[in-house]
Amino acid sequence: MSTTHFVSGYWNGKAAGLLASGLLLFSATASAHRIEKHFTVEPRAVITIHNPNGKIVVKAWTKHEVMVIANHASDKVEVTAEQTGNRVDLRTQQLADTVAPDDLRADYEVSVPEDAELQIHDDSGEVSVANVLGDMNVETVAAGVALEDAAGYLTVKTVGGSFQCVRCAGRLEVSSISGSFRLLDLRSYHVRAQTSTGNILFDGEFLPNGIYRLKNYSGVIEVRFSPGDSFDLSATSLKGSVNNEAKLTPPAHPQRLSSKFGYALGTFNAGRAKVELTSFDGTINVRKRN
Amino acid sequence: MPEVEAIRLAQQGDAAAFERLYQLHNRRVYSLCLRMVGNTAEAEDLTQEAFLQLFRKISTFRGESAFSTWLHRLSVNVVLMRLRKKSAAETSLEEVTEPDEESGGPRRDFGAPDLRLTGSIDRLNLQRAVEQLPPGYKSVFVLHDVQGYEHNEIAEIMGCSIGNSKSQLHKARMRLRELLHEALRDKAREERKAAGGSLGAED
Amino acid sequence: MATIGCKDFPDYLEPWMEGDRHPDALAHLRDCPRCRSLVEDLKMIQTTAQEWGRTESEPPAHLWNSLRVQLVQEGLIHQQSKRRGWLPSLPRPALAGAYLAAVIAVAFGLSGPVNQRINRARWLEGTQNSTTPLRAQFASAEMNATTLSVPDSNPTVTASLHNNLAIVDNYIVLCEKSVNEEPENELARDYLFEAYQQKADLLAQLSERGGSGR
Repeated sequence: MSTTHFVSGYWNGKAAGLLASGLLLFSATASAHRIEKHFTVEPRAVITIHNPNGKIVVKAWTKHEVMVIANHASDKVEVTAEQTGNRVDLRTQQLADTVAPDDLRADYEVSVPEDAELQIHDDSGEVSVANVLGDMNVETVAAGVALEDAAGYLTVKTVGGSFQCVRCAGRLEVSSISGSFRLLDLRSYHVRAQTSTGNILFDGEFLPNGIYRLKNYSGVIEVRFSPGDSFDLSATSLKGSVNNEAKLTPPAHPQRLSSKFGYALGTFNAGRAKVELTSFDGTINVRKRN
Repeated sequence: MPEVEAIRLAQQGDAAAFERLYQLHNRRVYSLCLRMVGNTAEAEDLTQEAFLQLFRKISTFRGESAFSTWLHRLSVNVVLMRLRKKSAAETSLEEVTEPDEESGGPRRDFGAPDLRLTGSIDRLNLQRAVEQLPPGYKSVFVLHDVQGYEHNEIAEIMGCSIGNSKSQLHKARMRLRELLHEALRDKAREERKAAGGSLGAED
Repeated sequence: MATIGCKDFPDYLEPWMEGDRHPDALAHLRDCPRCRSLVEDLKMIQTTAQEWGRTESEPPAHLWNSLRVQLVQEGLIHQQSKRRGWLPSLPRPALAGAYLAAVIAVAFGLSGPVNQRINRARWLEGTQNSTTPLRAQFASAEMNATTLSVPDSNPTVTASLHNNLAIVDNYIVLCEKSVNEEPENELARDYLFEAYQQKADLLAQLSERGGSGR
């Protein structure tokens, strides 16, 4: 199954100017080591990337191949890329016991088939994925994550990194402690987004029978809707406020909620989707799109 | 080895743990696949695919749902992907059903003349009828009535709402009733034909 | 009681099959053999399906063999477990904090009934009895995790973890206060439980970095 084509290059950091035109995604400062590898894969390949610090960019292409280009400045780390069956593992390994933070950095550019499944760990830096339709699991500490035109079962977990998801479909679960989320033009049937102190913006479609659960502790949750949308809304802020612009039909059997809660409950149009917004002491806004 | 321990060890690549998890769940997964596709060869293939996906993804299992729910969600997705490919239509999970009254489809005649199912329906008839259901109805019916999952579990497995699960189940049962009645009528017609044919032969 | 006809009965049928015996539907069924037949048919389908479900089929033995071969080929099965790389794709080790979060969840579940006849004083006492020894263990786990004596390769990450730990600690204090004030408030308890889980996860991440020497 596997054919490996290995190209290794080595150039002086002073030639960074030449690199910049071809490698716009990578730092303009010295990148002492570069590896490029190609792996032939079957459908639904699994690609894992473990990188403590640096940028990871993943894009889909039409080939049944995984191409990895990785750059790192220091001799104290190395990038390994291995294939086992239909799985490709990319890893940044520390070679010395102590490595300065700048030396730890490695940047990856990975091209994958569109149905690939991704598992990405990047402590700090940045992760961006575009046009990949397989399931995805992304975990970071401080790195921000950006997904575009992704589909499948998407799970993202950060500690402080922000998250942006544009034109994604499938099922999305994202959690963070202090990261904020922007969920734009989504066509997902199930969204679960939870952050403690970050803000959440949801400006996407409410699919019939879809479920949308957004939760934070403090901060702002903002959801935008159009007059043609159809959802059951349950918006509760324990100690904060709920500002709702949707004209709701109250439920047939209203719950008895404490008057201390900010809340908005009811059905908008036919109530085909389910929207649950919860905050501890933040603000929830349900706004009509212009 | 208890399941929790097997999961933990499997996440570290332990071969015995993989085998243990397979032993614990293979019958249920295989039965589910077989009930959904109706033939053993394809059910074997789907079971293998489901476990392969499970073991590839097991490192991502964080215990947010029961392991069996997670596994069955994987299995249902594997089966549905296959069924969808067969029907050659790219539709969302919720769209893989027949049109209902809300979307303008014809209202089904809920009453059927004369023939009663009581006494006429057995597992084989039901199995054949289930095979004719659209994938979405089939999944919910098999998971609920056959495999015994509750609606909240089905909602988690299928990624739909509980209300949707209930509504799909009801529609599936109504459709099965029609299919079973059609099968009964066909059988009665065949029997009448056979009886008429033999009389004709005597002439 | 309103009288309904066959035309309206289907609206009652779905809840009927879920066990909701509406009096109007019951009255109609007494008088309508057609609708009775419909209900009996659906019940028969349900019963036959349940019987079908009682028999489970066993896949052939070769299936496991074939699966095993593929798992070995993909490198998913190892002889010995290896911990590789920065962030092993494992759930966090059963560090005291992560384990404690689960124990706290059970403690909450056992000591905090979710109905309206809750005894407030008993709930408060139960909660405190459950969580006090656990808080002590959390504090110990935190001490171990945060006093790293090894060089820190990625201060950005460590700083982020510490900052977020402080955020979660603050959040725990406020949630505990809320739970003490309103023990019946399920939402407040959910938030508190989630905060403990987040803390356990953060402590586990900090500890990994300390334990792995990175």
